[in-house]
Amino acid sequence: MSSFVFAWYSLCRQPARAVLAIAGVAVIGALLFDMLLLSQGMLISFRGLLGEVGFDARVMATSSMPMTGARVGDAAATAAAIEALEEIEVVIPMRIDQAEVVLSERRPMDFTLVGSISGHGAWTVIDGADINQRKADGDASTIVVNRNLASALNLSPGQTVTVRSECLGRRSILPTVEFEVVGIATFPFDSESQLTAAATIADFDRACGGEQDQADLFLVASRSRVTAEAAVEAIQQLRPDLYVFSNDQLVDRFERVGFSYFRQISTVLATVTLTFAFLLISVLLSVSVNQRFAEIAALRAIGFGRRRVAADLVWESGLMVSIGGVLALPLGLALAIWLDRILKSMPGIPADLHFFVVQPQAVLLHIALLATAGALAAGYPVYLASRLPIASTLRNEVVG
Amino acid sequence: MSTPVVEASGLTKTFPMPAGPVTALRQVSLRVDPGEYVAVSGPSGCGKSTLLHLLGSVDTPTSGTLRFEGEEISALTDARRSQIRLTRIGFVFQRFYLLPMLTAWENVELPQGEAGIGKAERRERTAELLDYVGLAHRAQHRPSQLSGGEMQRVAVARALANRPRLLLADEPTGELDEKTGEQIAELLDRVHADGNAIVVVTHDATIARRAGCQLRMHDGIIMPEGSG
Repeated sequence: MSSFVFAWYSLCRQPARAVLAIAGVAVIGALLFDMLLLSQGMLISFRGLLGEVGFDARVMATSSMPMTGARVGDAAATAAAIEALEEIEVVIPMRIDQAEVVLSERRPMDFTLVGSISGHGAWTVIDGADINQRKADGDASTIVVNRNLASALNLSPGQTVTVRSECLGRRSILPTVEFEVVGIATFPFDSESQLTAAATIADFDRACGGEQDQADLFLVASRSRVTAEAAVEAIQQLRPDLYVFSNDQLVDRFERVGFSYFRQISTVLATVTLTFAFLLISVLLSVSVNQRFAEIAALRAIGFGRRRVAADLVWESGLMVSIGGVLALPLGLALAIWLDRILKSMPGIPADLHFFVVQPQAVLLHIALLATAGALAAGYPVYLASRLPIASTLRNEVVG
Repeated sequence: MSTPVVEASGLTKTFPMPAGPVTALRQVSLRVDPGEYVAVSGPSGCGKSTLLHLLGSVDTPTSGTLRFEGEEISALTDARRSQIRLTRIGFVFQRFYLLPMLTAWENVELPQGEAGIGKAERRERTAELLDYVGLAHRAQHRPSQLSGGEMQRVAVARALANRPRLLLADEPTGELDEKTGEQIAELLDRVHADGNAIVVVTHDATIARRAGCQLRMHDGIIMPEGSG
C-alpha cells in the first residue's frame, strides 16, 4: 500500500477531523488567493485600462492628476507641435471640469464635462451619434452623455439639456448653454456612479465663457514603428517644461505612490493566512499523531521505516492542503468578486478598474505557497512520529 | 550445529529515570534456534517485555551483543533494523494493533507491500494466511467488526506475512478470555509445528507449558531451571 493510499485511508478514518482541516484550509486558502490577486490586481487592471484606451503617452502641465494641477496653455499650438513630431501619430487635447445641468423643477445636477475631439477613443458611443463641430453660429452644440447621466435625467438622443459650466473653480456668471444630446457613450475612467458628458473643445470653451485654448492633458498615440518610450523622449525634448508619461511610467508611478499600500496590506495578510494554514495543519496532524502513537510504534515494530512513516504524514498533510487548496479557488474567486464590488463603490474608482484580477501566476503562487505551508506543517508531526521510541511507547500503552 | 535465529549475550538494559537509572535487564544471555518455541514468564516488571523488545530489535541494549542469524544487529542503522524486522521478524502484540481503517485482508497484505512483494504473490499469500488462521470469510471486515480473538488471529497472520524466521509474541492472550486465549495458543502451536521459531512472553501458565523451552525471569535475570 503506497504512502498516498495509506494517507488517504488515514484521512478518511477521522472524517470530522478531515472535514475540519479541509474546510479550514479552503477558507484560509481563499483569503490567501484573494491577497495574491489583490497584490497585483489593481496594477494589472490599471495597465489594461490604459492600454484599452489606445493612447500610449500622456502630456500634462504638472505631475499631478488631471483637474488637480495647472493646465497647459496654447493647447492647439502645443497639440499641433507635438503631432508634427515624426514619432507621433495623433494628439488629443482634453479639458475636464465640473458643470451642472440646469433643471426647471429641481436642483441642478452636477456632472463631469469633458471637452475633446471625437472619434479617437476617449469615449465610445453606444447609442445615437458622436459630437460634431458646429458649422454655423445658429447650429446647436452637441453633447454625448454617459448611461448614468442619461438615466438620471431620462435623456435620449435628440433631447436638449441646459448646462452651466463651473470653469476655474467658481460658478460662472455667464449664461447657460443649450446642448443637444446626440448620443450615449461610455467613458473608460468613469466610476460606477459618475455622471459624465463630452462636448467638443469649442463647445466646452463656449460653456466656459469663450475661447480659452487650454488643456488639462493631451492623449498621445505614437506611430506603430515607434516605442512609447521614444515618443515620450521626443515630446520631452520638444517641450521640457511639460510632464510626459508613457503608460508604463504611469503604472510605475501608481505602483510607487498609490498602490504600495495595497501591496503591503496584501503581503501582511497573505503572511498571516499562511501562518494560520501552517498552524491549523500542524496542530491537527500533531493531535492525530499523538492519538496514534501506539499504532505508529506498532507499525515501526513490524518494520515500517522512519521514512515511510514520515512519507505517510507528508502525504496526509498534502491531501488536506491540496483538497482544501482546490476548494479555495472557487471560494476565493467568489469572495474576490464580492470584495471587488465593495471596493469599487469607493468614490473616484473607475468602474472598469478591478482590485482582484485572476492571473495564472497568482494561481501558481497560491499552489506553491500552500504546498510549502503543508510541507512545513508536516514537519513537527513527522518529527514526533519518526523519532518515536518504539519499545517505550508500546510498553507505556500496555501499562496505560 | 545450525546458526541460531537469535543469540543474546550479556544483554543489559538500563532506563534513565528521574529518580535514578533503572536496570530492567541484567547480563541476560539467550539462544533461540530455528524451530524452537521459547516461553518467557515472570512477574510484572521483571524485564520480559524489555527482553522481547531487544530480541525484536525495536530497542537497543545498554550493553551486551545481539546477533540475528549471525549478524550483529545492535550496531545497525535504524533503517537496516527496520528492514530486518519487516522481513525476518514477526510481531504479535497484546493489543493487536491492527490498523482500524483497513480490512483484515489489507492488514495482512500491508507488510508484504512494504517489503516489495508483487501483487499476485501478495494476494496468494494473504488468502493463504487468512485461511490458515480460519478467517477467510472475514477478509473484508474491519477490526471494529471482529472479536478480540479474531483480531489476534489477523495479527498472527500479519506477523507471518513475510515468512519471518522468528515470531515474537508479547502477552498474546492478555486481552482475551480463557477460551479465546486457548484458541490463540493452539494457533501458535500450529505456527511452531510448521517450523517457525517463537518467543512468547506471557503470564499465562497454560501457554508457557506448551513451549519446548520455558524461561522464568525475575528482576531482570533469567532464573536457572528448577529455581522457580
